[in-house]
Amino acid sequence: MALLLLGLGCCVLAAAAASALPRSWRVPASAGLGATGCALAFVAAMRVLVTGGVESFSTTRLLPMFGLTLSIDPLGALFIVATSFVGFAACIYCIGYARGELQSRTAMSLLMVFILTLLAVPVASSIVSLMFCWELMALSSMLLILTDQRHSRAARSAALWYGVMTQLGAASILFGLLLLTVHGGGQTFADIRLHSMALSSAVRSFAFFLALLGFASKAGAVPLHVWLPKAHPEAPSPVSALMSSSMVAMGVYGIIRVGGDLLHGGTVWWWVAVAAFGAVSALYGALHATTSTDIKRLLAYSTIDILGLVLIGVGAAGALYDTGHPGVAQLAMMAALLLVVAHAGFKGALFLGAGSIERSTGTRDLDQLGGLIHRMPFTAALFALSACSIMAVPTLSGFSSEWLLLQGLLHGFTDRSTPTLIMMLVGVVALALTGGLTAVAFVKAFGIGFLGQARSPGAANAVDVAPSMKIAMALLVIPSIVIGVVPGLLLPLINRAATTGLATAAPSPVERGTSLVLTQFRGTIEPAALFAGLVLVLLIVWAVNQRLAQRSARRVDAWSCGRDVQTPRMQYTATSFAEPLQRVFADVLRPQSDVEVTHVAESQYYEQSLMYQNRVSDALELHGYRPVIDAALRIGKSARRIQNGSIHRYLAFGFVALLLILVVLA
Amino acid sequence: MSTTYVGALELASGAVLVSAIMTLWRRQVRSIVTMLSLQGIALAGVAVVLATHEHDKALLATGLLVLVVKGFVVPGLLRRVSQLDPNSRESAPLVNVPASLVFAAVLIVLSYVVSSRVTSFAPTVATHLTPIGIATVLVGYFMLVTRRRAVSKIVGLILVDNGIALVTFLLTSGVPLIVELGSSLDVLLVVVVLQFLVVNMGRHLRTNELAEMKALHD
Repeated sequence: MALLLLGLGCCVLAAAAASALPRSWRVPASAGLGATGCALAFVAAMRVLVTGGVESFSTTRLLPMFGLTLSIDPLGALFIVATSFVGFAACIYCIGYARGELQSRTAMSLLMVFILTLLAVPVASSIVSLMFCWELMALSSMLLILTDQRHSRAARSAALWYGVMTQLGAASILFGLLLLTVHGGGQTFADIRLHSMALSSAVRSFAFFLALLGFASKAGAVPLHVWLPKAHPEAPSPVSALMSSSMVAMGVYGIIRVGGDLLHGGTVWWWVAVAAFGAVSALYGALHATTSTDIKRLLAYSTIDILGLVLIGVGAAGALYDTGHPGVAQLAMMAALLLVVAHAGFKGALFLGAGSIERSTGTRDLDQLGGLIHRMPFTAALFALSACSIMAVPTLSGFSSEWLLLQGLLHGFTDRSTPTLIMMLVGVVALALTGGLTAVAFVKAFGIGFLGQARSPGAANAVDVAPSMKIAMALLVIPSIVIGVVPGLLLPLINRAATTGLATAAPSPVERGTSLVLTQFRGTIEPAALFAGLVLVLLIVWAVNQRLAQRSARRVDAWSCGRDVQTPRMQYTATSFAEPLQRVFADVLRPQSDVEVTHVAESQYYEQSLMYQNRVSDALELHGYRPVIDAALRIGKSARRIQNGSIHRYLAFGFVALLLILVVLA
Repeated sequence: MSTTYVGALELASGAVLVSAIMTLWRRQVRSIVTMLSLQGIALAGVAVVLATHEHDKALLATGLLVLVVKGFVVPGLLRRVSQLDPNSRESAPLVNVPASLVFAAVLIVLSYVVSSRVTSFAPTVATHLTPIGIATVLVGYFMLVTRRRAVSKIVGLILVDNGIALVTFLLTSGVPLIVELGSSLDVLLVVVVLQFLVVNMGRHLRTNELAEMKALHD
């Protein structure tokens, strides 16, 4: 615990350094301190994961009345491990990236506060401490979205959406958690854990669902996701990376902590709801990711997709635990947690990559990019590796975790009750379908962005980014490879976190060792052997290619298909690549397209110009949220009729109200 | 309990209410301010009578403070404002004077009805007089709503404050000196700010009838 507190202290120092030091020193000093803090937190959390102990700390100095209560257990430690790793990389990335607005006092110190709160949320172990850290996390990230608000109207709107959604979510969480204390005694988690079984099941369910709404909104679960694809793209890239890989994971953490740990599992229906959120999010996110042309928006939607899969895992685990299958439940929980960790790595790397692209080309629009593999080969290679990982290509982290999740769901069929059966079935289908859709989205992101020819001068003249940015990206690719090739190394640690989350003491359902071998069910995979095989095949292909290359080579334009003239406008664009899918899923996506034809004045048979516009807006936002917002605005406008500018009238309102109250009292 | 004390307290409290009603009756802004000054003196009288009866030195100090601030300083400031336009009159209040007086009577009845519950908790001479304080608050508020001149509105605001002060004196034998000091200085500050505002308003808009201001200008 002392080490973790030291780490948190380093983050505080980093924030202070960012606000006090002169411009030229500010970024390196605060980033260095922030990275140190993250490293210390990482070591502290790893130690807890390895030894499996619980360490506590509480002080009344920092928060008035209730004090700050922190306690680190394996479940929280796992989230700290993931967060501190991404936080470390983000700090390193900042050294090269921070320029202009992000270099300001406010932005740098807010970034450090954001990292600090991300590390503090999983250890906060009383309601007041949790809500304090949670709100500080929301506030600092909301202000970070506004970093570039002077140039971007979208950033302002995104911050507003995010602010409203996160405040509603926090209110819901707070109300839910308070319900647990009213009947149970104290407000520390230890007290709630002790007393929660004494509550009536209706109160427990109500409290859980309130907390679920808040946490699910933070985890970007559809239909509470609307803020996410707006906020993540508008934030500066290191912040997007942190938001997307760590902050959304806090939503998952909250659901596991409240449902599994504090309320001891609850009923099957709770977890069916969690899994339903997950299935809808996974499909909706994956679909929108395939049609997005803004690269950061695409990544944001894919976050919704992956977090959906995580929620399916968590839901399955909770339901199976309640129906008396702790072994499979533990497997599903482990899969969900492994996916959280894996996602933190590859999504962090992808967002940092997107930041590098934006920095060197000046745009995030895939339709303006192309050919970057020649201009920024290192970034391209890392982006490709992370994209492969998210597409669940074997021997990378996405594959290991999704394989484990699929095993958990398939073995979940041992339970014969209807709700769980439907849940497993939907889960398996969602997993399979999103796997395909994610592949389309990332083949598009990499193919259109990095391959082919440049579609704009910005992309044609791109220069590779600063070394620190490449190092940060490379760091985040490490977990993809490690978890992918030797997942067995990490699984005992994940298992410790999963048992804390489910409050069981069952032995690990996966054998120790480098490969994945299920102990209670049939299921074995050897990623290391696969990796060796893959390397062997690649070597053979390379050797054969070398052999053949000795014959005289003929050089032509890439992807020219034998044509003589190949212009960038003849290539596939991100929009056209996704067009078939957009057509298939038109009912869900509701794309809007306009064609505007201008004819030559003399004849209507000849066209002078043709404009085609295609937009895919979030249908849920358009049809679910807009009417509510419009209604609120209408009510607000109608209230203006009372207000005509006459001061006498305003005073009279007060006077009449006072008289009415007196008359009622009398 | 001496009859002198009862009589003096009733006289002073009554004077507070009567001067409040007089402000509704007078039209000349200068004489409205004079009524306010009288009310301040009467309010200070209430505090002094209570203080001598209970031998409370702090309350006596409060009474003297009230006398200085509400009896002389605040009305003095307002008089200076009203001298900018010596003949300014409350020529057409939103509710005319006879109707205002009738309404004031209704407000007094209402305050007696309302405060009957309060007085029943602790029936002493002082608490029996609380309806007068509440009536002063209501009359002040009524003045604030219906009078057009900026100075009369400020007077209405101070009437409300005086009414509240009267209630606190009667119910609790006065609040601690420091609180009274705070609220008196608050009122003084408000009056200074409003004075500044009114003078500037007159200079820029050539009017100080608030009814003519309905839209905000840049």
